[in-house]
Amino acid sequence: MKKIIAMSAVALAVSSGVQADVRINGFANLVGGITSSDDSLYGYDDNVSFSPESLFAIQVSGDINERMTATGQLVARGEDDYDVAFEWAYLTFQATDDTSISAGRLRMPLFRYSASLDVGYSYHWVVAPQSVYNVPFNNIDGVRVDFNGYSDDLEYTFQLTGGKVENDFTLAGQSARLQINNVIVGTAEFTYLNWKFRGVAARGDVTFDIPALEPAFAQLGQIDSGLQSLLEANDDSGLFYGASIEYDAFDWFVAAEFTGAEIEDSFYPDETNFYVTAGLRSGKWTPFITYEKSDLNDGPKFVDRIAGFPAPLQVPLTQLVIGIQQPAISENDTTSVGVRYDYDTNVALKVDVSKYSDDLDESQDATLVRFAVNYVF
Amino acid sequence: MLKKHLFRGCIALMVALSAHVAMADVVMVVHPSNSDAIDAKVVKRIFLGKEKKFPGGSDATPINQVAESSVRGEFDDSVIGRSSAQVSAHWSKLVFTGKGVPPAEVADDAAVIAAVAADPTAIGYVDSASVTGAVKAIQVQ
Repeated sequence: MKKIIAMSAVALAVSSGVQADVRINGFANLVGGITSSDDSLYGYDDNVSFSPESLFAIQVSGDINERMTATGQLVARGEDDYDVAFEWAYLTFQATDDTSISAGRLRMPLFRYSASLDVGYSYHWVVAPQSVYNVPFNNIDGVRVDFNGYSDDLEYTFQLTGGKVENDFTLAGQSARLQINNVIVGTAEFTYLNWKFRGVAARGDVTFDIPALEPAFAQLGQIDSGLQSLLEANDDSGLFYGASIEYDAFDWFVAAEFTGAEIEDSFYPDETNFYVTAGLRSGKWTPFITYEKSDLNDGPKFVDRIAGFPAPLQVPLTQLVIGIQQPAISENDTTSVGVRYDYDTNVALKVDVSKYSDDLDESQDATLVRFAVNYVF
Repeated sequence: MLKKHLFRGCIALMVALSAHVAMADVVMVVHPSNSDAIDAKVVKRIFLGKEKKFPGGSDATPINQVAESSVRGEFDDSVIGRSSAQVSAHWSKLVFTGKGVPPAEVADDAAVIAAVAADPTAIGYVDSASVTGAVKAIQVQ
């Protein structure tokens, strides 16, 4: 189904080229980085590397008729060995001047910068703050309705998205699979003069397929199948929420974003993340500073349930219950300073230095220097 | 303290001087048949892709100038209120989320006037010295 949507979006975009407008745009982020000696962070180590966060993308869009547009985005990411993938492929129907409906594979509007997350040129950071933005579920197969309007100086946008998410990700160095069904995301964004406010709430039925944890789950099941199903994330309801605020005086700006997620009946810890960022715009230069924090360290869940079991079982149960939750637990904060330089109206050069500190394991602390060339055409 | 004041004074002087040198008087131009009430807010919304129609309800087709044009820089600064790079970053957000197509760009004032004179939906901007009888000029600043 996904393939068919992707193919038809391209076919439509290409075939419409004969008689109508086909727009080809692209963007590229060339990001290089190196960490302090013997450290690693965000996929970088103490040798200069370009692959963790570089990407090249082409977007093709074509008007099928006055109200319908087909859009496909091909992205080659360094972290995937620059294999090209159709990350977005969707049709948009402009129902009225205020309302549009898009269907296919789309970006899920979870964050303030979700929509343009891959377009480095659109923001001041080298890469959007990982504490908030590093989630293994950015795209959704489904439908999104956008409504926007304004009255006087107040502009507003509402989005309602529904669909399904499937993605591979890495947990504690092991590959794993995530599936979220029946996803519903609601967002509201308001712009009033120099202020911007945004809120988001989402829910879905989450299934984690993590081969590395299978043996532990099996052992747990032999003792108590109730605890096993409680800890497993198997079609369990998950919640996501977030808010952001921004004040942009053009010469300077300050912004903050907060997100949280929980999957109550699962091993996955309740998480909260936020960043605060500020910058100055002086001609072509935008120096900035960002503080970010990620907290997935809310104490192990379900430990209180173990007390009800016979004494000989309590030690192995405790080991299993805590051991299964351990890989997902983390707590860290990062401070970055950097500068963006507008080389041209379609090229930006950036450099930043990030100091990452792991609140659970000091040996993971690292300093990372990154530089980037962002290009749009 | 004195240094700071001196520094501020120098900056102010420099800004004043550079503003004086760069100050081209930008005016909006529309088709002579266009009788819409157009102010800076309307222009801003149309050129940032937030509005596709004139206040009267008819379609609006913004016409931009190429990045190399000095009138473009002046228009972005004084009417839109952002640098050309910021305006371009704004459009990159819309383009790569399928939410908009940036205005067509033409080379200079003469090309803007030719395009606007030929299209009742068009709206562009030029240096006031370039205005001809083929278009209607509107002062928005």
